[in-house]
Amino acid sequence: MIEIEGIGRRFNTRDGGSFEALKDVSFSVNDKEFFSIIGPSGCGKTTLLKMVAGLVKPTAGRIDIDGRTVIGPGDDRAMVFQQFVLLPWADILTNVGFGLELRGMSRKESRDAARPHLEQVGLTRFSEHYPHELSGGMQQRVGLARALAVGPDILLMDEPFGALDAQTRQLMQEDLMRLWEVEQKTVIFVTHSMDEAAYLSDRVLVMDTHPGRVREILDVPLPRPREEGVRRSPVFNELTSHMWRELRGMMGDPTAPAPE
Amino acid sequence: MRGMSAKNRSRLLSIVGLVAGLAIWELIGRLELSPAFPPVTAVLAAIGEVWTSPRFLDAFRESMISIAIALPPSIVFGIGIGLLLGRYRPVEWALDPLVNTFLSLPLVALIPVLFLIFGLGRGSILATIVIYTFFIVVVNTAAGVRTTDPLIVEMATSFGAGERQVLRRVVLPSALPLMFAGVRIATGRAIRAVIIAEQVIGLIGLGGLVQRLGGAFAVEQLYAVILFIGFFGLVSMEAVSTVERRALPWVAAPEDIEPAFQGA
Repeated sequence: MIEIEGIGRRFNTRDGGSFEALKDVSFSVNDKEFFSIIGPSGCGKTTLLKMVAGLVKPTAGRIDIDGRTVIGPGDDRAMVFQQFVLLPWADILTNVGFGLELRGMSRKESRDAARPHLEQVGLTRFSEHYPHELSGGMQQRVGLARALAVGPDILLMDEPFGALDAQTRQLMQEDLMRLWEVEQKTVIFVTHSMDEAAYLSDRVLVMDTHPGRVREILDVPLPRPREEGVRRSPVFNELTSHMWRELRGMMGDPTAPAPE
Repeated sequence: MRGMSAKNRSRLLSIVGLVAGLAIWELIGRLELSPAFPPVTAVLAAIGEVWTSPRFLDAFRESMISIAIALPPSIVFGIGIGLLLGRYRPVEWALDPLVNTFLSLPLVALIPVLFLIFGLGRGSILATIVIYTFFIVVVNTAAGVRTTDPLIVEMATSFGAGERQVLRRVVLPSALPLMFAGVRIATGRAIRAVIIAEQVIGLIGLGGLVQRLGGAFAVEQLYAVILFIGFFGLVSMEAVSTVERRALPWVAAPEDIEPAFQGA
């Protein structure tokens, strides 16, 4: 279980003041849960994810994973990035094995260990290509395989499909669902797509902004495994329109109904 | 020229330019305007004789030995210092003024100083090669380090990489293209440096040979040696480019990468 307790983050500004990016954020994520965080730009959702990854330190509060406080990156977590962030100088197989190499495997061992994960994302025949030869969707599959290769309990995904076109994005969501149902990992998924959050998640955290804080946590009562058809169900529509009302209110739209 | 590929067209124009240049040279030579311009045909005739003469081959060997001794350590240390300079701000603050001073100095002016320090022998020639190449490798490596994508550093950190791993697995490969550009430029400069230094001594190497041929007004032979030096420089830099293309398969045209600094 991931417990986020009273997290805050202040940044110093140039003029000597400070800016509060996150304030008193508390929630917890259960094991093997698919948990999404949605919120307007600048609400600190990526910062929050990086804190769970151990890349950014909170200035208040703490994050515990299975009772142990996060002080830095760890073997139990792996991250998937919005911009894919592959090594341009390494072929695909070496890219997938990169996390393993950093954890002490030789180049050859890591490449061998990476093979099944490349197969999981359906890119075996591209193992010796370079990243620039692959489409965005394929590059992100490599990013996902790289994260899966280190065998993490927790996948941290930072708007992983945000840089992809709409069709690719939908395909990737479906593939991720299939993978997740087999792999059964805890996922924290940052997005600003309401459809994506509703389609993928068990629960969705809606964040408020200035400073970033918890607005509400929504349950997604859609059956699993999720078929493509759930996107047209009344429950799905109710959920996404609820999220839209919330987000629109935060974005200062005067025509939005006042939040109760 | 219509219907030709851009590449063939550019090749054709290069050949046209070269032939035109040679023709003008030949013309000036035939007019006997100056003993400094013998006809190009006379120079070409001298090439066959000069390039195979023992005197020339000995001189060439001498120059090559100096480059072989001085250039590799200059490159290796240049890369090492460049990595530190590009990555760590305090090193940058400490070394930047020094490096920039050397880059903007007309190095020829320093050669007499080197001869005062190292004497009229190989030591001074080696030192000249080092000051002509070391700083170029340093600045280009440092510039390469600064092209490192911070997102890749963050990614590696998220997978548990420490600073040493970041340096070796992320920063070093990121810096490679500019590092190679620096080595390519340094190779050309090493050849210039050895000739210049040898000319000062006037006795050994290709530079010495140039000096002696010039002194003896053996103009055709002199041109034959100069043409060889130019040709050899081109071939050496092309050799580095070949290694570069093999070592950087992810870079489309490594030889087109502009070095961050070419030197004065």
